[in-house]
Amino acid sequence: MHVLLIEDDLEAARFLVKGLRESGYSVDHAADGRDGLFRATEGQFELIVTDRMLPHIDGLAIIELIRAKGIGTPVLVLSALGSVDDRIRGLKAGGDDYLTKPFAFAELLARMEALARRRSGAPHATRLKVEDLEFDLLARRVTRGGREVELTARELKLLEFLMRRAGQVVTRTMLLEGVWDLHFDPQSNLIDVHISRLRQAIDRGADHPLIHTVRGSGYVLRSDS
Amino acid sequence: MRLDLFNTTAFRMSVGYTLLVTLAVGVTLGSAYLLTESLITDEVDLIIDTELQSLEEKYARSGVPGVTDEINLRIDSWGRIGAVYMLADSTFERLAGNVTNWPFDGMPAERWPEFEIATIEPGRRAVHPVRAAVRTLPGGDLLLVGTDISQGRRFADKFRFATLWGIGLSTLAAALAGFWFSFRLARRVGEVTETCQRIMAGDIGRRLPVAGANDEFDALAVAVNQVLDRLEHQAGTLRATFDSTAHDLRAPLHRLRTRMDALLLRAPPLEPAVHESIESALREVDRLQRTLATLLQIALAESGAPLAEPAAVDMGELTAELVELFEPVALAQGLTLTLPGNAAGVVQGNRQLLAQLITNLIENGLKYVPAGGRIDVDVRRTADGVQLVVSDNGPGIAAEDRARAVQPFLRIGAGLAHEGSGLGLSLVAAIARLHRGRLELQSNQPGLRVLVDLPG
Repeated sequence: MHVLLIEDDLEAARFLVKGLRESGYSVDHAADGRDGLFRATEGQFELIVTDRMLPHIDGLAIIELIRAKGIGTPVLVLSALGSVDDRIRGLKAGGDDYLTKPFAFAELLARMEALARRRSGAPHATRLKVEDLEFDLLARRVTRGGREVELTARELKLLEFLMRRAGQVVTRTMLLEGVWDLHFDPQSNLIDVHISRLRQAIDRGADHPLIHTVRGSGYVLRSDS
Repeated sequence: MRLDLFNTTAFRMSVGYTLLVTLAVGVTLGSAYLLTESLITDEVDLIIDTELQSLEEKYARSGVPGVTDEINLRIDSWGRIGAVYMLADSTFERLAGNVTNWPFDGMPAERWPEFEIATIEPGRRAVHPVRAAVRTLPGGDLLLVGTDISQGRRFADKFRFATLWGIGLSTLAAALAGFWFSFRLARRVGEVTETCQRIMAGDIGRRLPVAGANDEFDALAVAVNQVLDRLEHQAGTLRATFDSTAHDLRAPLHRLRTRMDALLLRAPPLEPAVHESIESALREVDRLQRTLATLLQIALAESGAPLAEPAAVDMGELTAELVELFEPVALAQGLTLTLPGNAAGVVQGNRQLLAQLITNLIENGLKYVPAGGRIDVDVRRTADGVQLVVSDNGPGIAAEDRARAVQPFLRIGAGLAHEGSGLGLSLVAAIARLHRGRLELQSNQPGLRVLVDLPG
């Protein structure tokens, strides 16, 4: 997958480029806003990752300019400005996701993957199915191997979030943002507890689990086969 | 706050001023009235005295017939207008004069007795007040001389009428002037107060009105506006400083984290012990980052910059969601987290910040309340907004430490030692202030009760 990284912090960029390449991405790097805008306009990328504060042209201005040109490539904004207002401004400018520095590399990978796959997903599906786990989105009913699974409204939302991203790593922050609409990090191990409850309901009694913990990253819902 | 006109200094001053004017006018006009009245009476008395004297002399010279003649002469010819004479014997029978009957019941006791005479004037019957004096002549006869004082009375009545009206009108004028004065003063002071309140509420671009009258109020407004300009400029500088500080601190943390991440991801994998210690160092970096983020958030909230784009947030719904989110964690710790009463109450604010406020209060309880304890989160509607009450039966905070616990930066020294525990409440206080709300810590007997009042 072809990614453009616009980042003026050269040392951070070096490690990011290396890490992304090792994770299977093909990466172009631009070190300032002008170069970034030029490449974003000219090149064919599936994803753009840009820093917010850049020399010459600000990261948000780049997004506005390429959106004005009709380029709809998903953009992930990296920023050292982390207040709620900064985040809102970043998304308003046309960014698709916002990550505050410093972040775990695994978090960046998970979000890039989510953004890249977002467009290929089927948002209007009425049924989700992973192996023998089925979710009827209209009736809000879940069955595992034909057996009905009782879930609360919030657990249904959590399961839907995971099933729509089946096979992708989903981080704790992504779950907090996507399921609870909370854009800050509570200190407790909240998500782990909720996942463990969901896991109890879904995987108990089944011959193999569907919800897996990814060490250092988060969770993934997938069939092992 | 609405200004109550009757409770202003200006109003009290003008009431005092009105009383003073009334008193001054009353004393002046009153004494003029009394003086004039006594002057009129004195003149009447002098005339009566003089006539009595001359009639007594006449009596001494020519006896009763002489006095009778003299009285008749004075009545008929050149007598003064309104003159009253009577000569009577010792049994009060009339001997001469223009009064038919002795007007008194025996000898009058006063020196200047007064009585009334009814006269028939053309077309009507009139009653005239008369002031008189009586002398006993050496032969035992009685001599009465009086003067019709109806004119003087009329004059005195008019004077009194004028005096009372004068006092009344000047009191009214003073009261009206005072009311107008205090109303104007209260309004101008009210404008200043209202503007200051709006600025406090976050409208930091607002300035005091300058009326252009070039008076002391304008001078005050100009001076206050200069202070506000300075403060606004400083707030702007502060915001820019936050941004660059945040950037300058986060960027190296970011590089540090990226390098450590790269170490963990590299092939071949590190020895498990090295891997473990790098992971633990990463956790420290994350904690440092979290503390930094909280500090910046407190500083930003405290800088007085208003909320960007506040929206309607239903505190009841948000609290219910967060209690549901934390409930399993509390259960795992052996704590009961409940939502006893939950009223829908809308607050204008930032959902994320308000969620953080509730989260910090719940996490505070999770951190300090020992297993078996309980945390109750309650949302109530108040007259002017919403009250969030989070109470627990944990160790609580000693009364003398409560004020310090919510003050940002004061507890940092002690707070960092306890994993930033002090910052949680400081951030709650800062977010509450940002929403024009108030935070109060109380004892839950035992435990801690935190009350957050947010205006709707």
